[in-house]
Amino acid sequence: MTSFTITLANQGGAAFDVDHRKPLLQSLREQGVDLPYGCKYGGCITCAAKIISGKVSQKAQRALNNRQINNGYIILCVARPMSDCTLEVGVECHDKLYRNPFLDPLAAHELKADIATPLEAKK
Amino acid sequence: MTNHCCGPGYASPAEAMRAPREKLLYTIAIYTGTGIQKPDYLCTIDVDPESSTYSQVISRLQMPGIGDELHHMGWNACSSCHGDASMERKYLIVPGVRSTNLHIVDCATDPRNPTLFKVIDGAEIKTRTNLSAPHTVHCLGSDIIISMLGDAQGNAPGGYLQLNKEFEIVGRWENSMGSIKFGYDFWYQPRHNVMVSSEWAAPNTFMPGFDLEEVGHLKYGREIHFWDFEKKEPKQTFYLGEDGLLPLEVRFHHNPDSSHGFVGAALSANIIHWWKDAAGDWQWEKIVDVGNEPHPEWPIPIPGVISVILLSMDDTHLYLCNWLHGDIRQYDISDPHNATLTGQVWMGGLLGRAPEVNGVKVTGGPQMIQLSLDGKRLYVTTSLFSTWDNQFYPEIRTNGGCMLMVNCDTENGGMEIDPRFVVDFGKEPNGPSRCHETRYPGGDCTSDIWV
Repeated sequence: MTSFTITLANQGGAAFDVDHRKPLLQSLREQGVDLPYGCKYGGCITCAAKIISGKVSQKAQRALNNRQINNGYIILCVARPMSDCTLEVGVECHDKLYRNPFLDPLAAHELKADIATPLEAKK
Repeated sequence: MTNHCCGPGYASPAEAMRAPREKLLYTIAIYTGTGIQKPDYLCTIDVDPESSTYSQVISRLQMPGIGDELHHMGWNACSSCHGDASMERKYLIVPGVRSTNLHIVDCATDPRNPTLFKVIDGAEIKTRTNLSAPHTVHCLGSDIIISMLGDAQGNAPGGYLQLNKEFEIVGRWENSMGSIKFGYDFWYQPRHNVMVSSEWAAPNTFMPGFDLEEVGHLKYGREIHFWDFEKKEPKQTFYLGEDGLLPLEVRFHHNPDSSHGFVGAALSANIIHWWKDAAGDWQWEKIVDVGNEPHPEWPIPIPGVISVILLSMDDTHLYLCNWLHGDIRQYDISDPHNATLTGQVWMGGLLGRAPEVNGVKVTGGPQMIQLSLDGKRLYVTTSLFSTWDNQFYPEIRTNGGCMLMVNCDTENGGMEIDPRFVVDFGKEPNGPSRCHETRYPGGDCTSDIWV
């Protein structure tokens, strides 16, 4: 198996070797990391973490809009690592996850992927 | 005349109104999405004014795991089983919206200390029925159906899960979802062979939070559906348009002969009324339109966001909550075509009208309500849904939710927040939690249906 090292920046830099085929939530919980989660199918955002460095694949996630993705959020219950990663986890990293939609609207390219207008397509 | 026959509930709404006063409440409280790594739980709250623990949480039943997001719940039996001596209102079915787990809680063996009787694992429900995200629970005589807002991957429209009275999965209740795009709440009125269902959104849309922009992309509902209840398939759909954005709580009259019913359109902040006309056709109209309110510091006015509506047992009054404005309203709907505002109280909300009530800072707004059978006491909680709370009322993470009680004048109209009653969920033993739906052991104004 290919394994990568996941470092949790806001948990004292604790590091864990994980299988690249498994979702990060599963790998980290199996090694005793106490993480929030909800639906386990990529739809509910409860397990969102922030990626500081590295790369993940999270094709199954449906919860994040493009602004949240651009702010570094990943959905741990479906994200699989593609490199060593440094993450912040838990609600302590949710500073940019939630916004008041009446005060801070999304631009067309910041919506969820299925309805976003790509920036280059804008006139 | 009191019916001595047997089963749970009451022979009629009038008999329900004469039932003894509620002494206990069951209310869910959540830690999902709060940062506290503890399970959500069911609280038992003492509401007997003669008791030394009045207005306190007297027991807490933790769910087995974290992350359920307990939300709505329902009894295994209600007045729809009144004629069946083998049935008993004993178990609450307490679903987790995010986990899809169904918790069956025994509330009758020791009403002050409910215990977990059984868990139906969300993974099993997803595998066997391709459904997830349970919401409304209603019993149908002996079996139970639950609106499930998504398929096993959180896509709309989901469907209806049927359980038998042993809490075994029967399968999908409906024969067809027709062209229904979304699910949410439902209520049935069997003498008219009808069920009405409403629309929130796909779990993958509403669970992560509210992107207002998605309303315009038709990711949120604006239709209600009239079902052929016996055939278990939708028969007619009303497109409510801009008047009916996010139609949520569905309430038929308790009178089983009546065809009148109501739904609150959350984002439009309207009450929609429907009825069957003399020709036997269903009609609808808007009877309440809550205007947007200017915010002192915001560039755009705020909609009320009617998160819940409820009818008194005698069908004379409709209550609604404007979760973002912070008010609860009482309307006289003795004439269901003409709603008359008869009472209003404020707690929390974004407009700053009542930031503190009974010594507790109210974070959030009036959200879920439950009315006593006699129509005189309305219990109110303040949290809507963890992710939506986090967007509109981020201080709820440290303050928690709260429960208040409103005394309702059913003779002359009017409402008043009871100064003696407050449950501050900011002071819970494991840290600030958030309270949502409430049920009464003896039935309540959103549980009981007469067949």
